[in-house]
Amino acid sequence: MGYEMWTEKYRPKSLNEMANQAEIVERLKSFVKAKNVPHCIFAGPPGTGKTTAALCLAHDLYGEGYREHLMELNASDERGINVVRETVKTFARTRTIGEIPFKVLILDEADNMTGDAQQALRRTMERFTETARFILIANYSGKIIEPIQSRCAPFRFTYLPREQLIGRLKYIIQRENVNVLDDGFEAILEVSEGDLRKAINALQTAASMRRPISAETVYSVVGRANPTDVRGMITLAMKGDFVGAREKLRKMILKYGVAGSDIIKQIHIEIFRSEIPERWKIKLADVVGEADFRLVQGADEEVQLSALLARLTEAGYEMRKGE
Amino acid sequence: MYTSWTEKHKPKTLPEVVGNREAIGKLKEWVKSWDAETPKKRAAFLYGPPGVGKTLCVEALANDLNLEFVEKNASDYRTAEAIQQFAGRASQYNTLFGKKRLILLDELDGITGKEDKGGVKAITEIIKATKYPIVLIANDVYDPRFSTLRNYCFLIKFEKTSSYEVARHLDKICKREGIWAEERALKFIADKNGGDIRSAINDLQALAQGRNKLNYEDVAWLAARDRKEVIFNVLKTIFYSRNCLDAKKAIDAADVDPDMLFEWIYENAPLHLRDPHDLAKAMEALALADIYRGRIRSTQDWTLLRYVYDFMTAGIAMSRERTQPQWVPFRFPERIRMLSWTKSERGMQSQIGMKIKKKCHISSVRAVKEILPYLKVIFENNAEMAAGLAKWLDLDETMTEYLTKNTQQT
Repeated sequence: MGYEMWTEKYRPKSLNEMANQAEIVERLKSFVKAKNVPHCIFAGPPGTGKTTAALCLAHDLYGEGYREHLMELNASDERGINVVRETVKTFARTRTIGEIPFKVLILDEADNMTGDAQQALRRTMERFTETARFILIANYSGKIIEPIQSRCAPFRFTYLPREQLIGRLKYIIQRENVNVLDDGFEAILEVSEGDLRKAINALQTAASMRRPISAETVYSVVGRANPTDVRGMITLAMKGDFVGAREKLRKMILKYGVAGSDIIKQIHIEIFRSEIPERWKIKLADVVGEADFRLVQGADEEVQLSALLARLTEAGYEMRKGE
Repeated sequence: MYTSWTEKHKPKTLPEVVGNREAIGKLKEWVKSWDAETPKKRAAFLYGPPGVGKTLCVEALANDLNLEFVEKNASDYRTAEAIQQFAGRASQYNTLFGKKRLILLDELDGITGKEDKGGVKAITEIIKATKYPIVLIANDVYDPRFSTLRNYCFLIKFEKTSSYEVARHLDKICKREGIWAEERALKFIADKNGGDIRSAINDLQALAQGRNKLNYEDVAWLAARDRKEVIFNVLKTIFYSRNCLDAKKAIDAADVDPDMLFEWIYENAPLHLRDPHDLAKAMEALALADIYRGRIRSTQDWTLLRYVYDFMTAGIAMSRERTQPQWVPFRFPERIRMLSWTKSERGMQSQIGMKIKKKCHISSVRAVKEILPYLKVIFENNAEMAAGLAKWLDLDETMTEYLTKNTQQT
């Protein structure tokens, strides 16, 4: 029996199949009709259809053989300036044969490009506008340098509204013929946080257990897929076992390759969920925010998060003293 | 980031491996003899002192002969059941592309204690039936635990590497690192380590990294006091100085790589500044030092280095307000050890990440983070879906095995 990742199996091929981001899809369709595309930035949270929209656009522009006119690069893997200098330039400068005189270059996760590479990219975009159009995809358009932003048409993708998530999931559930209980369905919606990719991955993984999908199945599957016991780490730190907490942190980063930014996000959520005195929550929010900012600037993840853990240890100590 | 030279300069092929030519020749012949027919002894047992290249030489051999290489540390999988699960499978099932396979069970010394008794027995049973050559490695083959197992193995002894050969190898590394090294200095390091080439390379790195010249004096000076002692003294000064200047001076006295020293301080700070307030201040000082390191990276303005030093020396010393001085032994930076431990695992993960990337329009980095964990759950629970996905993603057998077997180890 053939299996693939459902995220790919059910990825829309054409703009006509895209059921969400209606406004954006309409504008993209008008590009197809005009057979012309400006440079674009697709910005928005993960799992909201940015990459899909870009692929669909290329598909609708060129038809079935669209792959020949398209290059997909991922800045997280190829973030350096050399990629822009070599790969991008080589692709951009050669002309394409066919009705449409330009090629499309999709640069995914573009907010991970270094500043230098972005500067180089900006010149490339200018020089080869006739032969290539760029679609930059990013979570935060703020991390794209101003001169590039001003050369691109901006598209802001938003979290899928609940009904759309439900619609898409129901469609897959029906096609795959899986048995999802009501509370299991709710659980998938909750863990997805509006990210369709996450929702589908959770669904497929839960389905692999070969039993009716209950909330319990979903949480257990997602829990095992997220070995980031952030709550346990916080508890250890607050109880005074800083060294133990740091060890957990180290494992998350080194063994499981969890990004510091994800750990911070989780710490932030956990602190407000926890049962510590209310005024402490807001005090700690400042500490978390500071660490977050430092990570964005490229500091060492473990060292910065350790400083944060030490502050939690200190806070736990003061709380016990009855502050 | 710190990379160990033993990893960085690891030989990839047999001719590059230092010393033990005879043993290597025997091993190679034995593995090749499998091509004709299954030999009487279906396992080779490599034994000898640590750091002479036993594991290395098996890895290089697998590489040279283009064998599929399956390796496990026996000490991590000590029970009979666990051993049966990984080695039993690998010894029976065919490889995906008809390649020959070589199975290595490393660190057999690690199987100890009564509860692990079954482990050695399980290995013996697997050897009797294996379809592929199995190599065992331990320091002491004459340990009573191995008495039965020994009978089924082709024993190959590895000797200490001569200090001449060690010194020559160190010289090669220095050349690659762009370091000019005096012959006497290298000979000294080689002698001091008595044939353990791994620890000799580690010593060389500690002494020579970040320099472009290594004289006999540099080595002899450190020989007088053990190199660990030097770093311990620096740490002592930094953790227990009462004023900024003394703490700052410690770094001038230290002839150690500042990044390495940072790791030592970062590792040991919580042990020496146990009061929560002091600890919070100390960790913040290190975090600030780290921020200045980042500023140096992004601006390439090395004059900022003095602030890095300020925070990691004086900043630490001034954190002490309430913790009473108390002698606690310093310990080696665990983070560095862990980096090399998890290296092969991360290598495997990123290979799988690349495969996912090809199919799922997502960077390999994010694939490892967001998709691979789900795959692990699927592979553990649903063999049919796993097989389908493995085919679709074009995973090879080692990747499939990693996803199936390596779930949630902590």
